[in-house]
Amino acid sequence: MANTNGNVYGLTILSPIIDDANATPSHDLQIRAYLAKLSTREDSPFAMAPGTHLARLVVMDDVIYVGMPSCEEHLKSKYLVFESNCDGDFNSYLTGLADSIASHLDAIWSHCVGYPAQGAADRQGFIAYMKACQLETTFYFAAVNDRSVPATLRALQTQAAVADFIAAHQGADPETVQRDFLDFAAQLSSLPPPPPGAMGRYRAIKTGGHNE
Amino acid sequence: MSKLNATDIQGFVLRGYNLPVARYLFLRLEDAQRERTLVSRLLNQITTGQRWDGGKPQSTLNIGFTFSGLQQLELPLATLITFPVEFQQGMRHRAELLGDTGVNSPDHWDAVWREDHVHVWLGINGQSVEALDACQAAVLATLDEAGGATLVGTQDAAAQVVDGKPTTSEHFGFTDGFGNPEYLGVERSSQPGQGKLLDDGKTWAPLATGELLLGYADEAGELPVAPVPHLLAANGTFMVYRKLHQNLATFRTWLDRQSALYGGGKEKLAAKLIGRWRDGTPIELSPDWPDPAIAQDPNRSTNFTYGADADGTRCPMGAHLRRVHPRDAFGFNGRLINRRRITRRGLPYGPFVGEDQPVADTDDRGVIFMGLNASISRQFEFVQQQWIQYGNDSHLGNDKDVLMGNHGGHGRFVIPGGTSPANPPFVCSHLPDFVELRGGDYFFLPSITALGMIALALVDPR
Amino acid sequence: MSNINGKVYALNVITPMKPWKTWILRVVFFALDHIKSMQSDLINLSFIEFARWVIVPRTAFPSLGQGQLKEDLKYDYLLFFSNFNGTWNQYIDAFSAVLSRGLNLIWRWSEKFPGSVPVTLFKEYIARVQFDTDYYYTAYPHATANDLKSAHIVQSSFDGFSAVAAQATPQQFADAYLRFVLQVQAHLGETGEPPVVG
Repeated sequence: MANTNGNVYGLTILSPIIDDANATPSHDLQIRAYLAKLSTREDSPFAMAPGTHLARLVVMDDVIYVGMPSCEEHLKSKYLVFESNCDGDFNSYLTGLADSIASHLDAIWSHCVGYPAQGAADRQGFIAYMKACQLETTFYFAAVNDRSVPATLRALQTQAAVADFIAAHQGADPETVQRDFLDFAAQLSSLPPPPPGAMGRYRAIKTGGHNE
Repeated sequence: MSKLNATDIQGFVLRGYNLPVARYLFLRLEDAQRERTLVSRLLNQITTGQRWDGGKPQSTLNIGFTFSGLQQLELPLATLITFPVEFQQGMRHRAELLGDTGVNSPDHWDAVWREDHVHVWLGINGQSVEALDACQAAVLATLDEAGGATLVGTQDAAAQVVDGKPTTSEHFGFTDGFGNPEYLGVERSSQPGQGKLLDDGKTWAPLATGELLLGYADEAGELPVAPVPHLLAANGTFMVYRKLHQNLATFRTWLDRQSALYGGGKEKLAAKLIGRWRDGTPIELSPDWPDPAIAQDPNRSTNFTYGADADGTRCPMGAHLRRVHPRDAFGFNGRLINRRRITRRGLPYGPFVGEDQPVADTDDRGVIFMGLNASISRQFEFVQQQWIQYGNDSHLGNDKDVLMGNHGGHGRFVIPGGTSPANPPFVCSHLPDFVELRGGDYFFLPSITALGMIALALVDPR
Repeated sequence: MSNINGKVYALNVITPMKPWKTWILRVVFFALDHIKSMQSDLINLSFIEFARWVIVPRTAFPSLGQGQLKEDLKYDYLLFFSNFNGTWNQYIDAFSAVLSRGLNLIWRWSEKFPGSVPVTLFKEYIARVQFDTDYYYTAYPHATANDLKSAHIVQSSFDGFSAVAAQATPQQFADAYLRFVLQVQAHLGETGEPPVVG
């Protein structure tokens, strides 16, 4: 099953966008406008919901004509593409989204054909709808396929803190390094993982030593 | 590969002249008609790539134009817009992308580079300062006669002379000038390690000519992107000119302080920064001491790979040499790096001072970097942005080149080590800026044929 | 609209294929999935975080009724989504330089595919069939695939070392600490803002 690679799930959703001549602006443009204003950082909907490593939302207007001698053809619907690389499986991931960010899901997918009238609050209807829009991935590649989002964020935090610790304790006597290291390790393990979606190093810990 | 027409290619492009002194003149153009006269009169003074069977001349002269310069010369718009975007913009407008920010930002450059004053670069290399003076006098006489341009700046540069012989040493004390690539068709004594690695991972071959010269196949197996008409581009190249100030006092103080903490000693620390001992011995080949037998042997001094040193315990991943020419370090027998090579010309400027002499960062001292490449964006800008001011390809995250990086007091340089006390792991943090950019620009160095077309206003876009 | 978030680029590509060729492509992918050496090239390129190819047969575009017109297409389509580090040019250059055979196997069934070598024609084709991303999220915009791998190495070394650090005498600690530093020394690069895009 190519929708998974190790522990990572590759979700591909194509949702037909409502084609309504009376809508102003058209539904595809309304989706684009909503997405353009959505945060891509810590307060992104995907940061508030569990399990997303990387995800994209794309309004696909049409297929692309590559020129003669191929034939020109067009789609009858525009599609909203949702590509996500996430933890868990289809049901658990989408349930997590529906539990955490239903209002965003509704704001975006209410422009799509067949989205449940009650939106993500209709959990069964929502999952069934997404299932109906899902495409099977043919080939899925993941550079790292065995770490969850929290584990990854924690590792990045550890890596930055350890680098600082080593730099700060260069040349220090073993007793000092040992004492500081035990403090440091205790602090680090009690820290919550840094927030997903944050740019830049998340510094919540002092590493001690002679540089601080 | 047919033989290159050396009489059509500027000599500066085909070879390092190995002349001890240089002077670069910067002209501003003012009148298209008279400028073209100027170009046509300079044309027969330009040094070509022809062999010097009768010995080296007293001086050489070469010429290049900024994009504003070509606009001043009134090349047709249909031709101008076919020049690559980065060349059209010029180096000043590429500052953010190149990491030329903070102390390196254009606000801090020499006045001549802060606006579009420079249209023409004239490079004079000579046997002596007198020879430079004589050549400059001839150029200025031509300029007076033809008019249409003014001299807005000059820059002198010179090799350090030891025992009457010019050396390739630079101010920090490193022996420079090992790394220039070889190209198909460019006559030069061949040296293993200077071209590209072949698929066996051991043998070296010259790079495709099109990595240096427009109009020839490049390493991607196609003609490089070039302006039209082809005759304007062919046998020409692009040059990046950068005046790099060196903070020698900072460097010496920093090296003394850090080496007091480093178990490998001062000279080894210096070697780890650059990837060569100060005499030029590659630390990849001789990690524990400089070995003149290697440094001076052309069959060995550039003949090495990093495949057996993946963790950088001999040559750090962040060493300057390994960053700018990673050889096989990124796998695929070097195929990811063959289109990122640059030919360097250039010389130090400012007085040389012995290790025991007092120095100040404010002393006017540094190196004039002149890089030649077929594509400034693919070659120079890529190396500068991705490999000097960033470290992802070297698996070093955001770490910058320790010597060339724009650190602003941050930054880190890790020297991977082993269990031996003479080669301990060592981390340098809070790095000072050892080198600062003082200006420069992007130039087009046309062929002799193209210079003639420019001079006669015969550039026809199609 | 932006294809870029921090250190990652979101590439979307769609190409038409004659339906009879789709079956050949399925075999290619089946083989790819089972041939480790071709996958290892993707891993060694080291700047792709996630990538996927999705074959959409001409009859398989989701059709939900409720007034949605049924698609009527002659071609099947191949969708490609990549999440890579570095610049667009660097990515396509690298693909062309070291993966040309593999890429040709995948895309030669698409209409008008010029081959992945020479690179300029390949780039023109990709640019033509690329469509832009409206919204792009990553949980770790300050990190590349290499940064992630480094972080995981440091984390597991750190966990191992922490477990023994408390019981050790200062001398045992010093030895173990040196071994710990040697394990992580090649993975200490800083994470943070990417270079400015040109």
